[in-house]
Amino acid sequence: MNMQTTRCTAGSRRHFLASGAINMGSLALAWLMNQDRVTAEVKKPDLQQRVYDTTPKIPPGEPKARAMISLWMQGGPSHHDMFDPKPEMAKYDGKEFPGELKYDNAAQASSKVFHSPWKFQPRGQSGMELSELIPHTGSIADDICLIRSMQTNVNNHGQSIRALQSGRTVEGRPSLGSWLTYGLGSESDSLPAFMSLIDPGQLPVLGVDNWSNGWLPSIYQGTVVRPKEPRILDLTPPTHLKGKAQRRALEYLEQLNANHLAEYPGSTDLQARIASYQLAARMQTAATEALDLSQESRKTQEMYGMHEKATAEYGSRCLIARRLIERGVRFVQVYTANQLWDSHGSIMSRLPAACKKVDRPSAALVQDLKQRGLLDTTVVHWGGEMGRLPVVQNDAGRSKIGRDHNTYGFSMWLAGGGFKAGHVHGQTDEWGHKAVDDVVNHYDYHATLLHLFGLEHDQLVFNRSNRDQTLTDGQPGKVIDGLLA
Amino acid sequence: MPRPACFLIVAVILSASLRAESPKLRFETDVRGILRAHCFQCHGEESEVRANLDLRLVRFMHKGGDSGAAIVPGKPDDSLLYQRLRDGEMPPDESKRISDEELNTIRDWIVSGAETVRDEPDRLGADGYITEEEKSHWSLQAIRRPAVPEVDDPTQVANPIDAFLLRRLQDQGLGFSPPASPRKLLRRLSLDLLGLPPTPESVERFVTDLAVAERPESIWSATVDNLLQSPHHGERWARHWLDVAGYADSEGYNDVDTERRDAWRYRDYVIHSLNTDMAFDQFITEQLAGDELVQSPRDNLSDEDAQLLVATGFLRMAPDGTGGAVADKLQARNDTIADTIRIVSSSLLGLTVGCAQCHDHRYDPITQTDYYRFRAIFQPAFDPENWKAPATRRVSLHTQADRALAEKIEGEAKKLDAERDLKQSELINSTFEKQLQKLPEAIHELAHAAHATTAGKRTPEQKELLRKHPNLNVTSKSLYLYDRKAADQLKAMAAKAAQMRATKPKQEFVRALTETPGRIPATHLFFRGNPDQPRQELQPGGLSVVSFISDLPAIPGEVTDLSTSGRRLALAKRLTHPNYPLTARVIVNRVWRHHFGRGLVETPSDFGVQGQLPSHPELLDWLAAEFMDREWSLKHVHRLILNSRAWQQSIADNQRSRQLDPDNALFGSARLQRLDAEIVRDCILAISGRLNTKAFGPAVPVMADRVGRFVIGKENMDAGRPGSVIDMKGEQYRRSIYIQMRRSRPLAVLEAFDQPPMTPNCDKRNASTASTQSLLMMNSELLLTFSRHFADRLTQITPDESEQIDTAWQLVYCRNPKPLEREAAVRFLEDQRSILEGQVAYRPDPKKPPVRTAKHEALAVMCQMLLGSNEFLYVD
Repeated sequence: MNMQTTRCTAGSRRHFLASGAINMGSLALAWLMNQDRVTAEVKKPDLQQRVYDTTPKIPPGEPKARAMISLWMQGGPSHHDMFDPKPEMAKYDGKEFPGELKYDNAAQASSKVFHSPWKFQPRGQSGMELSELIPHTGSIADDICLIRSMQTNVNNHGQSIRALQSGRTVEGRPSLGSWLTYGLGSESDSLPAFMSLIDPGQLPVLGVDNWSNGWLPSIYQGTVVRPKEPRILDLTPPTHLKGKAQRRALEYLEQLNANHLAEYPGSTDLQARIASYQLAARMQTAATEALDLSQESRKTQEMYGMHEKATAEYGSRCLIARRLIERGVRFVQVYTANQLWDSHGSIMSRLPAACKKVDRPSAALVQDLKQRGLLDTTVVHWGGEMGRLPVVQNDAGRSKIGRDHNTYGFSMWLAGGGFKAGHVHGQTDEWGHKAVDDVVNHYDYHATLLHLFGLEHDQLVFNRSNRDQTLTDGQPGKVIDGLLA
Repeated sequence: MPRPACFLIVAVILSASLRAESPKLRFETDVRGILRAHCFQCHGEESEVRANLDLRLVRFMHKGGDSGAAIVPGKPDDSLLYQRLRDGEMPPDESKRISDEELNTIRDWIVSGAETVRDEPDRLGADGYITEEEKSHWSLQAIRRPAVPEVDDPTQVANPIDAFLLRRLQDQGLGFSPPASPRKLLRRLSLDLLGLPPTPESVERFVTDLAVAERPESIWSATVDNLLQSPHHGERWARHWLDVAGYADSEGYNDVDTERRDAWRYRDYVIHSLNTDMAFDQFITEQLAGDELVQSPRDNLSDEDAQLLVATGFLRMAPDGTGGAVADKLQARNDTIADTIRIVSSSLLGLTVGCAQCHDHRYDPITQTDYYRFRAIFQPAFDPENWKAPATRRVSLHTQADRALAEKIEGEAKKLDAERDLKQSELINSTFEKQLQKLPEAIHELAHAAHATTAGKRTPEQKELLRKHPNLNVTSKSLYLYDRKAADQLKAMAAKAAQMRATKPKQEFVRALTETPGRIPATHLFFRGNPDQPRQELQPGGLSVVSFISDLPAIPGEVTDLSTSGRRLALAKRLTHPNYPLTARVIVNRVWRHHFGRGLVETPSDFGVQGQLPSHPELLDWLAAEFMDREWSLKHVHRLILNSRAWQQSIADNQRSRQLDPDNALFGSARLQRLDAEIVRDCILAISGRLNTKAFGPAVPVMADRVGRFVIGKENMDAGRPGSVIDMKGEQYRRSIYIQMRRSRPLAVLEAFDQPPMTPNCDKRNASTASTQSLLMMNSELLLTFSRHFADRLTQITPDESEQIDTAWQLVYCRNPKPLEREAAVRFLEDQRSILEGQVAYRPDPKKPPVRTAKHEALAVMCQMLLGSNEFLYVD
C-alpha cells in the first residue's frame, strides 16, 4: 500500500533571481544564456556555491530526443499474452514445465505450462506479432521498437521498479526524470520540468519514490498532477487578487525574500523557494491552459478514447501528456493504478480489462505525436517492471488462474526519439521465461536512452560527498545499437 | 510487496575505516564483506548449498565444492572463485555482479596467499559465524563515558558538548561562529521546544532582561527551563516520537483505511510522558510491555494500569488490514507483524533488522534466525493462529463500579420502556375502538379478531376486512395520524428512557496489545520470508551479535511470575540495560538531530555497517552515558544541548569553513532549517490569533472538501455529495498534533509541507521546496482566511498603520522592521489599497457596504506575504 505525500518540484533560475520581473523569456535567449555543458562537477567543494536550475542545457552529444513520456504499467504486464508469442508452447499447455522457476508466491505456484489463450497476428509492414488484446497498439506496430528481452533479475516489484526508475535496486536514488531534468533542464519557464500524472486509484508501488529527486536538489523532483479536477490545487488566484493585485503582492514578497537572502546568500534552499514562487505565478496561467482539454477538438478527444468509459480517464491523461510536452515539459510519467498489471490471479478477466484501459490511448498518443511532427524528438515508453511466468499460478479453475512474476525476460516498447521503428529486439527462450538473445538490462536501457538525449550514462554525473554519482552507478550499461534508428 | 520507507538518504560509506591498517589483505577484513553481500545466500546460508560450495570460511573454500577447491593461494587465475567472478558467471544474477574494485580486492587477496586474520572455527552453528571484525563495529561497543577534551579557549565552552565539538573544529583550524542575536535565539528556541513562536511581549522581556543581566547565561538557562515546563513542549516533541512510532488514526494497508477511533489515547500518552519527563527507559518499557506490568484485573483497571495498556498502542501502530476483507489473511497478519518489527527496530534498535526477514542480513551480522527469534518475542501477542482482529483488541475502561452503575440505570430505563409499551398498547386499542365505533356492529367481532392478530398471521377474511376499512389499521407507526397528542405522549416517555440511559458511565476503550494467558504459540523461521513455508521452531532471543559482546539478561521463553509470557518485558529490560550498546546512542542522536538539523549519525535508524559513521563518536558516547546516568531524563539532554555554545551559534557565511567543512558536519555554524509541516500551520494559527490551545482528546476529523482536498471538518455526506458544513466550534483551530492522521486523508496543508506518510513509519523527514507549496501560500482558502484573521488582529491592537506594521513584524519575525522595510510596507499597502479600490467589491456603497474595506484587505494581503516569506518559513 502506498499513500504518500505529494512531492513537487520547482525551478530555480539564475536569471530569474537577477530580475524580479516575471518575464516569459524566449527559449532562444535562454539557450544562448546557458552555454555551460553538462559535465562532471568539480571534485573539490565549490567555493562559489552552485545554483542548481532548470534552464535548458545543451547536451554534449548530438541529441535525437528532447522529451519523454513514460507510460508506466506498474505490476508487470504479461508479455506472454501481449507481446511475445510462443506458438510452440501450445502443445505443452497444461503439462509439466521442464525447467526451474523462481516464484514470488510459492503457495500458489504450479509447474503447469500456461500457453497464452489469446491469438497473435502480424501487424503493420513490419509484421510485428502482437496479440488481440492490444489491437490499437498493433496499428502503430511500424512506429514502435518492441524489446522482448528485458531483464532486471530481481524478482519483486519494489526492487525491479527501482532498477528501471532509478537505475539500481536500492532506495533513495534519483529517478530517471530527475536525472534528465538535471542534465537538460526544462524548455518551459512556466511549467515544471518533470510532471507525474497519477492514476485515480492508489499510487503505484513505491509511491512518491517513482518521481523522487533522491539526493539531487529538490528542484528536480516530479510535480504530481492530480487525477481529477482540479488537477493542480490552488492554481487560480482568489478574485480580488487576480491580475495586478497579485503581481504587486508577489513583487513585494520577492523583495522581502531578497532582503532575507542577502543575509544568507549561499543558501540554495532559499533561492529555490524564491524561484518556486516565480514558477507558481507563471503556472497559474500556463498550467491552467495546458491542462484544459476543452481546447482539443472532439476528433482528437475521441482518438484518445475520451468518449468511452473504459478509456476516458487514461485517454485524458495521455492527451495532457502530449499537451505538456508541446509546451516544453521535459519528462512526463503517466501511471496506471497500483498493481493493475500484477496478474497473479483472474488473468482471464483482469488482463483484458487492463489492456482495454490503456491500449487505445497509448496508440493514440504515438499517432498524435507523429502527426504533429513531435514523435521524432519525443520518446514514448510503454512498460512495467516485469513480465510473467510461463506457468499457471493459482490453479483453482479457469477463472482464477494467473501468472507469477518474471524479471528474467519480459517485454516493453519505445517509440520515437531515435528508437528504431517497426523493430523487434531480442528474444526470450522457447518458454518466454528468460531473455536469451540481445538481452537488455535496465542499465543498458538507461545508457541507450541517455545516449539518445545526447548524454552518456557515465558522463552525466552529480557530485555527492566528493563522489561522482551516475544513473547507472558503475553497472555495465551499454548503448545498444540495435535499438537505434 | 515491499513498502517504501520515508525519504531517506543512505550514504554509503565504504568500510575503509574498518579495514586493518596492514597493506596485506585478509579474509575477514577485506574479502568476507564482498562475498557476504554477493554469494553467501546460495553458498552457505541456505539449507541447500549450491554446488556444495560453502564460501563462508576460507577452510571451506580450500575444501571446495562439486568442481573442486575454490581457491589456490597465490594463483588467482587458477582459482575457481576468481575465475567465475571475473568471467561474470557468478553471481548468476547479472544485476548483482561485483564491481571491478571488489574483484581486484579478491584477486589481490588470493595473490597475497588468501590468508585469514585468525584461525577459523571448526564448524558453523545455526547463527553462522560472527567475525571479530563484525563484533568490533563501533555501535556494538559498550558505551563508556569518554574524558572531556581540553580546548584552547575554555571561555567558548559552556558544557562538555562544546569541548567535544571545539576540539574537532580546532584541529581543522576552525571555531564556533558567533552567537545568534537574542531575538533569533528566542525564536529558534521557542520553535524548537514548543513548535510555536514566542509572543512579542516575551521577546521584549527576554531582550531587556538579557541586556541588564550580570550573568546572561542564567537568563538563558531560566528561559530554557521555562519553555521545557510549558505544556506545549510535549505537543511539539511528541511529533518526533510519533513519526518513528508510525502514529496514525487509521488502519491503512488498503484503501478502505478504517479509522482507529481510540488511537489518540496513545498520542496523549506520549505528550504527557514527554511533558512530565518520564524516564525514557520506563517510557520504552511501558510501550513494549505495559500489559505485562498491569496489576489490577482486566475488568477493573486502575488509572495507572489503564495508561500502561495505552502505552502498548506503540505496538499497534503498524498498518493493519486484518480487520477487513483482504485477499490473503495469513499474508496480511504477517505484514502487520513485519511492519511492527520494522517500527520497533527503526525506532529503538538502530539496526535494520527487517532486512533479515528473507535471508541473512547482507551487511550486518544479523541472521535470518535472529530475525525470527526476535519475532518470537512478539509472537504471544501477535499470534497468527489465534489472531485478534482490530475490533476485538479494544480493552474497555469500565470499572466494576461503572458496570454496576450502568446495569442499575439500564434496569430503571427498562422499567420506563415497559411503562411506555403498556401505554402504547392502551392508546392503540382505544384509538382502534374509536374508529370501530364508526363502522357497523356486524363486523366488530371479525375486526377485533383481526386487530388482535399480528399482520402476517391474519386470515384472508381478516385481511379483506382491513383492506376495505383501512382506518382500522391502527399501529404504533400510524398512531400519530389519529391522535397526535397520544403519539407525543409516547415520544416523551421514550425520550425519558433515553435520557436515563444517557446517564450511564460512558464506555471508553483502549487500543492495546495483550497476550492470551496460558497460550504461547510456536515461532518458526519462514523460508525466504514466506509464511507458507515454515521451517524450524525458534525460541525468543535478542540479536546474537549484541549478546556475544555484552553481558545482558536473556529473553526467556516463558516465566512463572507473570500471567504473560514475559518476553517483551525481558526485551525491554535488555534494551534499557546499561550494557546495551545501542538504545541510548540511538535516542540521544535523534534528540541531537532535532535540535541541530543534523545528527551525529546521519542515518538515525541504521547504526549498522551501511549506516554512517558518527561524526563525533566520543560526544555521542558522552551524551549517551550522561543520559543513562541522569535516569534517562530527556529534559536533561535538552538542557545540555540548548545551554551549549554550539547550539546558540549564528549561521556562518564563511568561505573558510565552507571550504573545509562543506556539509557543516563539524557543527561550526547553525543551520537554516525549514519549519516542519505542523509548525507551519500551528504558527499561522498562533500569529493570526486563532490558535485553540485545548490539549488532548479524540482527533479532530478530516474530510474531503468539494474539490477533493483534505481539510478539517466533519464529513456530512448527503446522498453521496457533501452536504452543509458542520460548525467545528473552534476545533479547527487546534494544534496539528490533534488533527486526525488518517493515512488516506492527509491534511492538504500538512501534506504540501512534507508531512510523511506512515508506511509504516518515518525516521527522517524530507523538507522539499515545491511550486505547489507556493501556490498554496498564494491562493489557498486557508492562507486567505488566516491572513484576514491576522489583519483583524492587527487592527484590533492598533488603528495606526505604522504600528500595525511593527506588530506584524514582531508576530511573524520576532523583530521590528528596519526603517527601509517599514517604508516598503507602507508603499505596498498604499499600492495595494489603490488597486483594490478599483474593484467593485471594495467600492463604498451606503446601501451595501463592502465586507472589508480596500485598506483592510490590503493589510491582509501584506500579512499573507509575510506568512509566505522565507524569513517565516525557515528558522535561522
